Amino acid sequence: MHKLYDLSSRQSLEVQRLRFDPASVTFGVEMVPNPGNDMAASLQIHGENMPKLLPWNLSNTKPCQLAGLSTTMQNASNIKNLNLASNEVKSAGKLDKGQGLEPEEMSADRNSLCTTFPDKSTNISSILELFPKLLSLDSQESRPPTNFGIEAHKRLPTCKGSFFESDALKSLVLQFLRRYYLTYDSGDRQGLLGAYLDKACFSLSIPFNPEDPAPSSLCEYVKDNRNIKKLKDPHLRLQLLKSTKHDIVRSLCVLPATQHDFSSFVVDQWLQTERVLCFSVNGVFKEVVGKSQSSVRAFTRTFIAIPASSSSLCILNDQLFVRDAHPKETHSGLFIPVPTPASSSVPTLSQEQQEMVQAFSTQSGMNLQWSQKCLHDSHWDYTKAAQVLALLKAQCKIPEEALTQTDPGS
Amino acid sequence: MRRFRGHWEDWRRRRERSDYFHERPGRSHSGSGSRTREDVVTPPLPEQAASGSQMAMSVDFKTYVDQACRAAEEFVNIYYETMDKRRRALIRLYLDKATLIWNGNVVTGLEALNNFFEMLPSSEFQVNMLDCQPVHEQATQAQTTVLVVTSGTVKFDGNKQHFFNQTFLLTAQSTPNNTVWKIASDCFRFQDWASS
Repeated sequence: MHKLYDLSSRQSLEVQRLRFDPASVTFGVEMVPNPGNDMAASLQIHGENMPKLLPWNLSNTKPCQLAGLSTTMQNASNIKNLNLASNEVKSAGKLDKGQGLEPEEMSADRNSLCTTFPDKSTNISSILELFPKLLSLDSQESRPPTNFGIEAHKRLPTCKGSFFESDALKSLVLQFLRRYYLTYDSGDRQGLLGAYLDKACFSLSIPFNPEDPAPSSLCEYVKDNRNIKKLKDPHLRLQLLKSTKHDIVRSLCVLPATQHDFSSFVVDQWLQTERVLCFSVNGVFKEVVGKSQSSVRAFTRTFIAIPASSSSLCILNDQLFVRDAHPKETHSGLFIPVPTPASSSVPTLSQEQQEMVQAFSTQSGMNLQWSQKCLHDSHWDYTKAAQVLALLKAQCKIPEEALTQTDPGS
Repeated sequence: MRRFRGHWEDWRRRRERSDYFHERPGRSHSGSGSRTREDVVTPPLPEQAASGSQMAMSVDFKTYVDQACRAAEEFVNIYYETMDKRRRALIRLYLDKATLIWNGNVVTGLEALNNFFEMLPSSEFQVNMLDCQPVHEQATQAQTTVLVVTSGTVKFDGNKQHFFNQTFLLTAQSTPNNTVWKIASDCFRFQDWASS
């Protein structure tokens, strides 16, 4: 039996036993049952109901999974006073320093943290490292360690999109990728022979998930998977690295047919010397299986390329990493492939469809070909197509090619 | 035997040159006990002749692959442990002119890298994919180079866990006793960078 208590007026909380249910956002607190009552009243506290100023006494509790503590509490940072005295926290490493557990006072004496470290000062400094806002430790004002102030200012830089050293390199790389994936998605990858140097190297890998070591979703890639963290056999390690352009293209030809979403590409051009240009492409593609829509995969592909002429590159190293796309990556609707020449066959449209394309083009500013593609992908549902387009516009995912009014094949 | 004599000449010349590159000249010839634990060290490289000569065939491709794998495995163990537990020592793994592209942010040179890694919150990395390839000397001016690609999860203090992909270019600095690998380039990105 669970009772829901309103703690908003409570100032402190005596906790005898803590029980965590990592599957839910709440954590359960067991109060010691009254002798006459054999049902333990279990206190379910939702994070947002935690009182604001709370001296929280965890002393004398059984070992708790403090590791799970702050991740289940949304307002962990409201805890100002944390009493861990005599608590059986096994080691400093178990305290989750992740989600903002930042008490200002703490009692940790007699904590078995003390026994984990050879001397008290090490213990103190590791506690201080975990809880940088600590002002008082065991009722003694804690001397801030020398990096006390710095810890508080650590933050992740803002993530940005594609990086290129210059516009010229950006053009060169994007042009290379367009040409490469045009052939890659064309249904016949033999044409890629010209993209590789004779002694180029290629290998591919898929993620290893310890909780699901043999997923069925990426089965087409398993036989070529060269994850040397798991693969120890030197013979196989050698065999799975393709090292002539013919072997490479032969391998690529047996991988599933694909349709890459050029608008999803994020490119990091991470090295340029007079001899070599290196870049990594992140993006998504669809595996094309007959007419039915197949899985959406995400990939990171690293190229080391050598300039073949002033305007083209030749691949020396190619490493492909394929994984299932995360839900946010499988955006529904417009999946913009590499632009195909106008001559590729397009089904004839009915009068009504032609009018829809014209209207859509006028309203959206996209050229006729892309408007048709957009409508086609939304099964000629005009409203849906417009919604998808608005979404992509908000994400800045409309490629330049879609907006030019000239023939895209030129 | 003539072939091997040519090798020794080459080796002696290279040994003189390598002292110039080694960052701790006093320690380059001593045993493995003197190196710091941040160094990524593998056995000495097989004899490499100047590119284009017939002697290049004496080192077969399999050796390059084995060596690349060994370097990559050793490197990845040391790199992420240093990143997580001895962050201040991390820049010792980078060449002076190394560049890092971190989620689209560019960081060049040791001083900038040092500041960058100081600013980054403490981390907990878990690598579950590693692949590597030798890079042909055509690209590298006979400096042995390995491409290393990793993937896994990382939790930075105060942030949610992310999946990441990372690419390194490692170059070898040879001494007679061993090979020390350093990072020439580093490219890191969260898989969900756009929503973070």
